[in-house]
Amino acid sequence: MIQLFHVSKFYDRCTALDDISFRIDKGECVILTGPSGAGKTTLLKVIFGAELPDAGQILVQNRNIARLRGGAIPYLRRTMGIVLQNFQLLPKKTVYENVILPLIIQGVKRREARKRVMDVLKAVSMDHKQTIRTGVLSAGEQQRICIARAIVNSPILLLADEPTGNLDAELAVEIVELFKRIHAQGTTILLATHNQRVVEQMNGRVVHLQAGRVVSDEGATS
Amino acid sequence: MRPLYLLREAMTNLRANRGNVMIGIVTTAFTLVCFGVFLLLYLNIKNLTGTLQGDIEVIVYLDPEASEQAVSLVQKRLRTEPAAVALTFVSKEQALREFSEQFPDESLLLEGMEGNPLPASLVVNLSPRFLDTESLGAFAERVKQLPGVTHVAYSQDWVDTLALVVSYFELGAVVIGTILAVATVTIIANTIRLSLHTRKEEIEILRLIGATGAFIAIPYVIEGMILGAVGGGLSLALLKGVFEFFRLELNASGWFVGMEHILPVFPREVSFLLVTTGVLLGCGSSVLSVFGLMKVRN
Repeated sequence: MIQLFHVSKFYDRCTALDDISFRIDKGECVILTGPSGAGKTTLLKVIFGAELPDAGQILVQNRNIARLRGGAIPYLRRTMGIVLQNFQLLPKKTVYENVILPLIIQGVKRREARKRVMDVLKAVSMDHKQTIRTGVLSAGEQQRICIARAIVNSPILLLADEPTGNLDAELAVEIVELFKRIHAQGTTILLATHNQRVVEQMNGRVVHLQAGRVVSDEGATS
Repeated sequence: MRPLYLLREAMTNLRANRGNVMIGIVTTAFTLVCFGVFLLLYLNIKNLTGTLQGDIEVIVYLDPEASEQAVSLVQKRLRTEPAAVALTFVSKEQALREFSEQFPDESLLLEGMEGNPLPASLVVNLSPRFLDTESLGAFAERVKQLPGVTHVAYSQDWVDTLALVVSYFELGAVVIGTILAVATVTIIANTIRLSLHTRKEEIEILRLIGATGAFIAIPYVIEGMILGAVGGGLSLALLKGVFEFFRLELNASGWFVGMEHILPVFPREVSFLLVTTGVLLGCGSSVLSVFGLMKVRN
């Protein structure tokens, strides 16, 4: 699913990623952990094509991200679901309008799109709020909508960067349970967090980053 | 579903940016009004010049001593000229009659003279292709050499002046049109850029979920086109109103009695051109603004 070969990334003279190599197989749940500034976000960014590595190669679904043309990036992202800490929702649009957006972009037919949106909204227990603008929702609800949007096009890979970062402990537990349910349905998950409770609750393979390097990889299959 | 979505997004952009959009529309309309005024002046003067040029006649005065055979030869020779499209013989008697009709006060002058002093002539109407100074001069020179011809008269100076004015207008239209077009493109482009700036986060989100540069850019291009079309429409309404007002005023003043067929030119092409130019300016400006959106890697 994802293979990294000696990936390095520098910002000016700071090293964000330093010779990182590992692989994630289909259906795996990998927790990327480490302190702030360890390189978790940068690693996710190079995987979804927002940043180019300065050295090394990254294969995502057998496509070399480092060599991918800019115009191909949107099509790569359509195969992934991306959940970020700051939700990244359109506050003036309703829950339904936010979640249907990836399907509109992909040109999915209206009826089919509606069905899929309603299914994922039920899955995240937000179907009763479909007509409400996301700007007025609580942080937990917004993160649920963000997850619903990320999974509405049935991605084979779900990337999450500190998805519980803006949530209190109780809500964080709910969100982690949601990720576990999504993983149980066969979706590959790469989740970055510095929250030890989330790491324990997810109960997956843990890749620990420090100063841009992989310092431990617990539970790797190979 | 997608085209509807894109159109809806464009309308949302327009509503969200009402103030800037109004500035863009007014600027486009103002630019196109200036351009339209120039265009109408140019077209009307050109039309007037064309009509007047069509009236140019070359008068070939015949020697009173010339025999019928000589006059007939001159006529025959003129008919073979490619420049001549019509030929009318004006006899001495007819010339006197026309002179008396046209200048009744001066006809007394002729009464004291013995006989009819006015010569017979041939009036030649020329093809529009031969109405420039050089062709006219060459034609007159050739005709002057024919036996039985005393002299050749034509009036070209004032038509040449009009033609010069038209050429200045052409140059002015290009210069002013270019300056105004650049100004409009700059202002519309800035309007669209502001719109882009206010929706920066939304654009980031769209990129994150796999929207292509074109998908993000199209609503802004539609926005620019709508802005340009409304500006064009507004300029058309203003121009048409002002043009009709002046036409009525001119008619009421009586200054141009008998020339109405020459002056009131507001061709459909001008209306079409104004709106199309508006749309094109709007489209070009927004394409310029959203060009950066095509770079997706961030």
